[in-house]
Amino acid sequence: MRLFLLLVISFLLVPYSYASTITSKTVWQGQKIITEKVRVEPGSHLVIESGSTIVFKGGSLEVAGRLTARDVKFSGNKWSGIVLKGCGLDTLVAGGEVSGAKIGIQVVGGEPRLEEMTFTDNDIGVELRQQTEATVAGSAFLENRKVGLFVKDGAAAAILNNRFEKNGRYGAYIFRSTPRRFSGNVFSHHETALMVAYSGSNPELVDNCFDHNKTAIRVEKAARPLITGSDISNNGTGISLYRRADPLIENNLLAQNGIGIAIAFSSYPKISNNDFVDNEKAIYLEFQSSQWEQSKGASARQAESSRSAFGSLEKASTELAPPRNLDGTIDARQNWWGATANRELEKSGADGNPGFIDDGRDRPTFIEEGKEYPLDRVDFSSWRKSAVFGGAAQ
Amino acid sequence: MLKMLSQNIPAFILIVLLFACTDSGETGLQGQLLSGESPLSGASVEIYLKAEKDRSTLPFATTSTDENGNYQISLPAGRYFIIGKKKLNDDGQTRMLMAECPANPVEVSESVRSVAPFPLREMGRDGALVPEPQTGLVGRLVHEGKPIANAFVYIYTEAESGLMGPSYGEATRSEEDGSFRINLPAGRFFLAARKRADGGRMGEPEAGDLNGTFPGNPVVVVSGQYLPVGDFSLAKIDAVERQKRLAAGKFDQTETRFEGSVVNRDGQPIEGIYVFAYLDSRMVGKPTHISAPTGSTGRYILNLGEGGTYYLGARSTYGGPLEPGEWVGTYDEKADHSVLAESGKAIALADIVVREVW
Repeated sequence: MRLFLLLVISFLLVPYSYASTITSKTVWQGQKIITEKVRVEPGSHLVIESGSTIVFKGGSLEVAGRLTARDVKFSGNKWSGIVLKGCGLDTLVAGGEVSGAKIGIQVVGGEPRLEEMTFTDNDIGVELRQQTEATVAGSAFLENRKVGLFVKDGAAAAILNNRFEKNGRYGAYIFRSTPRRFSGNVFSHHETALMVAYSGSNPELVDNCFDHNKTAIRVEKAARPLITGSDISNNGTGISLYRRADPLIENNLLAQNGIGIAIAFSSYPKISNNDFVDNEKAIYLEFQSSQWEQSKGASARQAESSRSAFGSLEKASTELAPPRNLDGTIDARQNWWGATANRELEKSGADGNPGFIDDGRDRPTFIEEGKEYPLDRVDFSSWRKSAVFGGAAQ
Repeated sequence: MLKMLSQNIPAFILIVLLFACTDSGETGLQGQLLSGESPLSGASVEIYLKAEKDRSTLPFATTSTDENGNYQISLPAGRYFIIGKKKLNDDGQTRMLMAECPANPVEVSESVRSVAPFPLREMGRDGALVPEPQTGLVGRLVHEGKPIANAFVYIYTEAESGLMGPSYGEATRSEEDGSFRINLPAGRFFLAARKRADGGRMGEPEAGDLNGTFPGNPVVVVSGQYLPVGDFSLAKIDAVERQKRLAAGKFDQTETRFEGSVVNRDGQPIEGIYVFAYLDSRMVGKPTHISAPTGSTGRYILNLGEGGTYYLGARSTYGGPLEPGEWVGTYDEKADHSVLAESGKAIALADIVVREVW
């Protein structure tokens, strides 16, 4: 009985919060239950002390001023999440955890810092939008239901040294955005670890690691990232290029993937100085034809991209940058294809049909809408005699 | 004679149909033309069989509006394009008002169909603002006497929107010293300006954002001159005032409305969805009416100004191109997503089914 009373009393002592507007410096500490929307006005500062636990029961937190929250747990059941609107560099959310939200933290503009956080069990862990220059560093994105980190709407954030694991659809999704830095991130156990899509998505993806994903990196719909310095190993497909995806792929290790790089639908990457090691196929082409692109590419894109949200024809699609080349080849010169492959190349020469590449030499044509198109070929006519990464790639 | 007849067979058939139908007396179109929000009398209503870009012939039928701006015209069953026109002569200056009905093309089948009222606009004034050389506005945004950088100045061509929302014709961002310059054609304009905490150009201003309409509205811009409007002062939005305005604004309950639910393919209610009503069957651009976002039950109320045929869509963001992860759907009881609203009535609709796009 005494224990029961103690529990009741301690429950009653938990401070509840209410719809409120914070207009001056305010400090929260201990456990707090938020039941309504709390907004921090521009010019005001909410400090949540280390070790605090903030539970949202239908409420939300919107910060248009400044937020400092170190080692704080934010949780709830399908709560709407924290919104940082135009917060400056002096807003810091660090060392804590955000869970159970629709969008754990949504950053709208500004340049706040999210450091060493854990985002788990949210629909979306973090969403960065409206040209935000936020920094997301050293954080873990674990088992969020849809996307770990969504970078959209021209966000120019720095995404550094984060860990992405077992997020539902995508570990990270870069949509019409070019983060100013994207490096040192580790992705594992995703259907698609990193998606880079649509024109305007031209980031430099540097020194990242992809391991045990079904697809490590997917680039599509006119995105043109630089993928470099990354370890892309033990995935179903290392890099998947789809629908006018023209990345530069340089200085990566692609090892023990089912397919190193899959290329489809008018994608013309430049692939050089990579190490391809023990992939079932180093490069695989499908529905990829310069002739198809010349005759149908623009009209096919127009038919799709000129549709409005509700499906009717709206406007002319934006003209895309032209493909690198339309001579029926994919430029994959100066790569290290592995020791065994190298011996095969030395034997068959530049005119051979190496077994580690599956292209128009293996399947000369494909049929679309009753018409036959020639499948492109990979140009491997010059190749590295040694691995880029030395011993690791032998 | 035979040759002439054979050349005009389609017109002949239509004329026969026209008489056949008017004999039975009950198919056609009725509606109202407006100038701003006022009825427009004596305006021409022209009925075409083709869309604007294909229209090179005389109208198929014409009528004019009565003293209340109303018109009614008998037509055989078919698909029509309605154009409203009126020539005005003010102080020796001729102005032409004109507009294409946003609901075009309009189907006439078994009765006299009501078309939602639509306003005529002065030609060369509304729509896209094509600047003239060395013509426009210059000024400076201030708050409590200090310049406001990176705020947005909006140019509206009419004040009916309350100088809020996305119907502005032009917008520009103020410089570091608060100054702005907007290139415009000559004409009469209304200015508003806002600075949102998130730096955005669109969206409902929040408490604490800066907001203002220019006290000298409307301003008249003359060809070949940049009109100096001086300091344009913005005020901070008060939370209580904002709540009052929201309650009285676009979410204000009206007598004419649609009600229903937004669900996913499994029939589960979806929260946070806006329902859009368009008069234009293509459902592009800015909707005529928009609901508040659905709550956890998926229920929405879409308040309408007038009765008429509306085309309904639903999505989880306010506008712009579709983004991955967004919910989107249309009202699909009819293939063209249309539904008829009756003035003064609340109509319960079937569920709108939305899907998540990736």
